[in-house]
Amino acid sequence: MTTLIDDKHSPSLSLIGKIRESKSWSWLAESLTQDKRFSYYFEPLIQLLIPNWSSVSSRADILTLRHETNDVFTLVIRPQKSWAKGGFSAGQHLDLITEKDGVRSHRTFSISSSPDYFDKTGLIELTIRVQDKGAITPWLREHFAQGGLANISAPFGDFTLEKLTADHHSDAPLLMVAGGSGITPFRSMLQQMQAVGDTRLVQLLYYARNNDQFLFRHEFERLLKERENVSLTLMDGEQVGLMQSQHLQELALDIQHPQLQVMICGPTPMIQLARQLTEAAGVAPERIAFEYFGAAPIDQIDGVDGQQHVSCTTSGKYLLSDADQPKSLLELAEDADLKPVSGCRIGVCHQCICKKQSGVVYNTKTQQYSDTGPQEIQLCVSVPVTDVALEL
Amino acid sequence: MTTSFEQRPDEATLLAFQQELDAIRDEALARRGQQDADYIRNMIRLQRGCEIGGRILMVLGFIPPFNSLWWLFWGIGVALLSLAKIFDNMEIGHNVMHGQYDWMNDPHINSRHFNWDIAADSDSWKRYHNHEHHTYTNIIGKDRDFGYGLLRLSDDIPWRPKNRYQFLTYLNLSLLFQWGVAYHELAAERIFFGKRRTESHLPISREQLKKDFFSKINKQVFKDYIFFPLLLLPFGLAIAGWVLLGNVIANLVRNLWTSTIIFCGHFTEEVHTFDEKDCQNESRGQWYYRQILGSSNLEGKRWFHILSGHLSCQIEHHLFPDVPAPHYVWMAERVQQVCDKYHIPYNTGSFGQQYLTVVKRVWSYSWPDKKQPKSDTLAAG
Repeated sequence: MTTLIDDKHSPSLSLIGKIRESKSWSWLAESLTQDKRFSYYFEPLIQLLIPNWSSVSSRADILTLRHETNDVFTLVIRPQKSWAKGGFSAGQHLDLITEKDGVRSHRTFSISSSPDYFDKTGLIELTIRVQDKGAITPWLREHFAQGGLANISAPFGDFTLEKLTADHHSDAPLLMVAGGSGITPFRSMLQQMQAVGDTRLVQLLYYARNNDQFLFRHEFERLLKERENVSLTLMDGEQVGLMQSQHLQELALDIQHPQLQVMICGPTPMIQLARQLTEAAGVAPERIAFEYFGAAPIDQIDGVDGQQHVSCTTSGKYLLSDADQPKSLLELAEDADLKPVSGCRIGVCHQCICKKQSGVVYNTKTQQYSDTGPQEIQLCVSVPVTDVALEL
Repeated sequence: MTTSFEQRPDEATLLAFQQELDAIRDEALARRGQQDADYIRNMIRLQRGCEIGGRILMVLGFIPPFNSLWWLFWGIGVALLSLAKIFDNMEIGHNVMHGQYDWMNDPHINSRHFNWDIAADSDSWKRYHNHEHHTYTNIIGKDRDFGYGLLRLSDDIPWRPKNRYQFLTYLNLSLLFQWGVAYHELAAERIFFGKRRTESHLPISREQLKKDFFSKINKQVFKDYIFFPLLLLPFGLAIAGWVLLGNVIANLVRNLWTSTIIFCGHFTEEVHTFDEKDCQNESRGQWYYRQILGSSNLEGKRWFHILSGHLSCQIEHHLFPDVPAPHYVWMAERVQQVCDKYHIPYNTGSFGQQYLTVVKRVWSYSWPDKKQPKSDTLAAG
């Protein structure tokens, strides 16, 4: 599991830090301000002076928006000074927190620039694909066309070189398999490897829908010239179709190499295919790391049909909803012997409120669809529309 | 007497009625947006400003050169602190905890996490207020908000000798309202007094209920009656004393105001009561109908609506408890038109008028019933 909120696990807290983390301090804050932290109480006032100041996330100044292709853009962001004090690792992602029409939404994006670039300039980049029927991504591109202010979470995620090399040899050859905008963490890694002079053999196998859809193509081609250890194979979907086992045999590195490591990032079907093919080619599963592109929640409603899976992250239970006989999440949970607190069961009392981590639900009372990201929902009047993850 | 539903429009009429009300709600949801988010954040800022300003002003008058006018400073300070508590409890706390702003997805402005500046534990309040009171509004025996188990406000409740003094009980309840709100759920569970109930509908243990109750009370007492007076003790006993007094008064003012507004919403003369058996398997239209008959509105200027937390639009609040409250004002006009169309009584009036009828109601049910009202013979027949 990944944490979504800043976990500042600084090893040695100062005295003031210790007091601020103590129970008595929190008790004092709660009795004087009704909030667990004094900063929660003062936040609305501080925001008058510093817009987007937040007690739970970091302020992000979006400097420019760069168009990569017709439906992909990059945000260049200057995070506030205290963001990611311990730095971040290439391949990690963060939550971009924005407010559209008064509604706060969280979307997770990989950081597409390197830690080295951040150290030198204080900037990070997020590269984002505009989802066709998306609620947020098209709006992001429009709203931040001239830059603006947003908030970001601390970096998180362990699809990183550090994690891989901590588990295995740091000089083993590395195969990166990217699909579409799943290229973003690899851009960060490749830039970082170049900056620190990493010499291991790296092969990037990059699949895209068509020849116009390769992101950062010129950057990668320049990198190829400068670094002998890096090789690149562009796979144009219109020419080669889906990934095939034969593609793995034509690489610049030996797929049979006993220490070869594989990292895969892209859309879900692509990841499944790439895992099957690399395993079939002889790579041990423990040497394959993968990340479902868009740890980001699905950005659109696929229409209610078939069955939706509801995963309850606290209890570990899975519920199955059937579109032909729709049931509220409360009924589904109760059928599975979960006993969430509930009250009126008609959407009035708000006792059955539960945190949804991802997925779309339909509110039968207001007849509105929810956002796809983290949100509090009323279980008794919510019917799952897509697969849903609940903190239950 | 509980309202006989013989007067209730038939199911087809109520369905049409319900659809018109639903259309008003849908329009409100469509209009809900950035301006509501900005509004509630500005309300919170205003509340913070009043609270911080009030606490400072109360003390500032004791420092030269302001000390010649110390009573003025202190008075304004107390007024601001009272206002801050009223804003916090009514326009912000009550409405946020109803889930009116949950759609914002803001970690601090949502019904699950909000905590208010009052002795009542917010979770306990949400349980009985949002569920019991809002679902079973004015059903005798189900909605304990109807008279709070202390007042006889309808002839459905048998007269007892103690009712003779209920006007005094009412005044006391108003002054100590926050403690009544805090104790409400514990009273139902007979935690400290009365015969222990064998069954409990609590989703938490009685021990937890007691713990939450004291935890919140301790914090509130600590803040207003210990921490701030003690903080100023080094500057003299007198200053600490005035601060203590100011805090006490601010709490009393808030108690009086909130209880008065709430009494005007449900205990005016024309407000109806209901029998449990008539309210089983209600359709949504019937539910709307009962909510309208069981509530009454107050007319006034914008500042009055804000000070009352828009409970001045009690009818709209009961119809649409989770629509952001500032919308109630325009919705009220439309709801009243719909009610007129279907000949459904819509109880509204000025604050003064409505309050007079509350006083009348508390007074008249203090005494044994003289005669059965006419409507009863009709209903019995």
